[in-house]
Amino acid sequence: MYYFDHSATTPLHPRIKELMVNVGELHFGNPSSIHAPGQKAKTLIETARGQMAKAIGCSSNEVIFTGGGTEANNLVLWDITHQQKKHVVTSVIEHPAVLNVLDNLEEFGVTYTAVSVDEAGVVNPEEVKNAITEKTGLISIMLANNEMGTIQPVAEIAVIAKKHGIIMHTDAVQALGKISINAKELRVDCMSFSAHKFYGPKGVGALFVRKGFQLKPLIIGGSQERSLRAGTENTSGIAGLGLAAELATKNIADTQFYLDSLTNAFHKQISNSFSDAIFNGHPEKRLPGLVSISFPGFRSDLLMIHLDRRRIAVSSGSACSAGDIKPSRILSAMSIEDDINICTLRISFGIGNTLQDVDYLTQSLKSSLEQIRSAA
Amino acid sequence: MSKRIIVGMSGGVDSAVSALLLKDQGFDVECIFMKNWEEDSPYCTAEQDYNDALLACNHLGLQLKTVNFSKEYKEEVFDLFLKEYASGRTPNPDTLCNKEIKFKAFLNYALILGASRIATGHYARLDHNNGSVQLRKGIDGNKDQSYFLFMLNQQQLGKTIFPIGEMTKEDVRNLAKEKGLPNHDRKDSTGVCFIGERNFTEFLHQYFKSDPGNMVTIDGKTVGKHDGLMFYTLGQRQGLGIGGGHSEKEEPWYVVDKDLKKNKLIVAQGHDHPDLFHSQVIVEDLHWVSNYTPSSNELNAKIRYRQKDQPCSVNISNGTANVTFEKPQFAVTPGQAAVFYKDDICLGGGTIESRN
Repeated sequence: MYYFDHSATTPLHPRIKELMVNVGELHFGNPSSIHAPGQKAKTLIETARGQMAKAIGCSSNEVIFTGGGTEANNLVLWDITHQQKKHVVTSVIEHPAVLNVLDNLEEFGVTYTAVSVDEAGVVNPEEVKNAITEKTGLISIMLANNEMGTIQPVAEIAVIAKKHGIIMHTDAVQALGKISINAKELRVDCMSFSAHKFYGPKGVGALFVRKGFQLKPLIIGGSQERSLRAGTENTSGIAGLGLAAELATKNIADTQFYLDSLTNAFHKQISNSFSDAIFNGHPEKRLPGLVSISFPGFRSDLLMIHLDRRRIAVSSGSACSAGDIKPSRILSAMSIEDDINICTLRISFGIGNTLQDVDYLTQSLKSSLEQIRSAA
Repeated sequence: MSKRIIVGMSGGVDSAVSALLLKDQGFDVECIFMKNWEEDSPYCTAEQDYNDALLACNHLGLQLKTVNFSKEYKEEVFDLFLKEYASGRTPNPDTLCNKEIKFKAFLNYALILGASRIATGHYARLDHNNGSVQLRKGIDGNKDQSYFLFMLNQQQLGKTIFPIGEMTKEDVRNLAKEKGLPNHDRKDSTGVCFIGERNFTEFLHQYFKSDPGNMVTIDGKTVGKHDGLMFYTLGQRQGLGIGGGHSEKEEPWYVVDKDLKKNKLIVAQGHDHPDLFHSQVIVEDLHWVSNYTPSSNELNAKIRYRQKDQPCSVNISNGTANVTFEKPQFAVTPGQAAVFYKDDICLGGGTIESRN
């Protein structure tokens, strides 16, 4: 199998798998128990908290473990219902884990303004500033987009938020392990992460919550995670997340260099063979390894079936909408016409891919396009 | 010829067994799930259907992909469906769906993907002789679906396989069970696909405003109110809300006709009321599976799905069939399909225009 869909999810790193199996088998104690097995489990969770904190440049007590990136987003967004100021500024390219939540919060009196993006998929901080009203209590802008990989000017927007006394959240689910993240430099109040996007397990995530900022819990029960996320901890998952965060950020410059070399090779090969192909997004402000490419006249669902026959896994639009092809709203927001929009593939390389894999991908794309052309 | 067959998977046992049979025959089988309706509501079963199809394909070691024809379905099938209702008729979207979606949009898609033919889990058979294809009833008389396929042409049928046409539903279920298919005991789907299990009238109310008028007897006596003529079907018995006291008889009331001009629903009492029966039926928009008008006038017809063959004589001129049934037919409904047969060969048919 040739897997080029790392923005959807990543394979579990073998070292993380080993750790998780060990934890599940040997350290099954309840972290709330005061006996030795319980305390060992507690130690593992606190180790992971330290690893996560180090990975994003914050203190351990600023990390809350959740059941994934979506839950981390929900934890921040639902909090707005308890605030006096119930208006949110966000962007049209956010993940459904932000926009659909905001839609659902309408019945609790929450309103929001979603600012647009330019043709490269970048939010303009000026527009965010202009969208602020006296009722604005939260700004939520993603750090990097999941379809285009475009990196957003979050630090700049956070400065604006500070000036207006507004809480700043960023969904950083796509970014960790691909670009270096420092919570202090970004000056955000909350930041969401998901372990399975950086070679960790599924079903576990983390929320950075700046010290001094009080959130209300969504899941209520015991006093785990400072009562912000009740329920017996997913010890092996959390341990896996901690190690994943450490491994993903340790040599990030090398990772970036490697992913860039794969992307550049792909870019070059495609440009040589298909002059019609369109590379979407910003040429520089982008995640390494993520390519959004349109082949005008070739519907992505057809292309994907041809690639699938060649055991190649890529994504069309966002992988979250299983099965069927609709124009991507993110590409639409970037003023890309529907007929080109539905001809777009997202190719996301990972550390397991090689240059040979890239050659195979371009060869396969070439023969798939030829086959489709001759059948049409 | 390429050995690749693309099977339209619905999630049901019929298409799963179709894929299984073709795989066992050595074809290179790929499966596609068609999504023809966009709706996020508890009534829309598409997600569950897809999941069932996925598990069946996984069991068979086959790939499942999805294609979305909801735009085509809306434009080619649903808009016409609404138009027919608006004019007081009762259309059959399934025949049109077969013509425009399953055996056109989907077929073309499969051909682009390099398939030599498509297959579906319809209970019908195809006979190939001398370069032409005959559409025949499925072996299972109770399940035969040729009625819904009468609008297909030679090109479409020539690229199609119906792997279970020679089997009974019981055979299909038994084989599915024997092979361990996870959907072997899945309930048969009923009714129109996009409406699912919901109340039909409620569904129509999303598209049509109420247009109340009187319910009157054949003699012109008002016996109740109706909500709008499109919400009623000829022969309908339930839901008329006509209480006692309008006549001496105790028998239930039936819809016998619609007076569109005066917005009146004509009703009569008793299932055997003569106004519910007609022997003469005008059928238009004729289509013949073989391209040729049948040479014989003495045929059988079905004016609704699963009806027994009804002997009739058919006179065709200027694209209109004038059909005289041997026995008067209950609730002949304009908009529905009349499909003609010679023995078990489905010759074609058309749309019921009027009756008398």
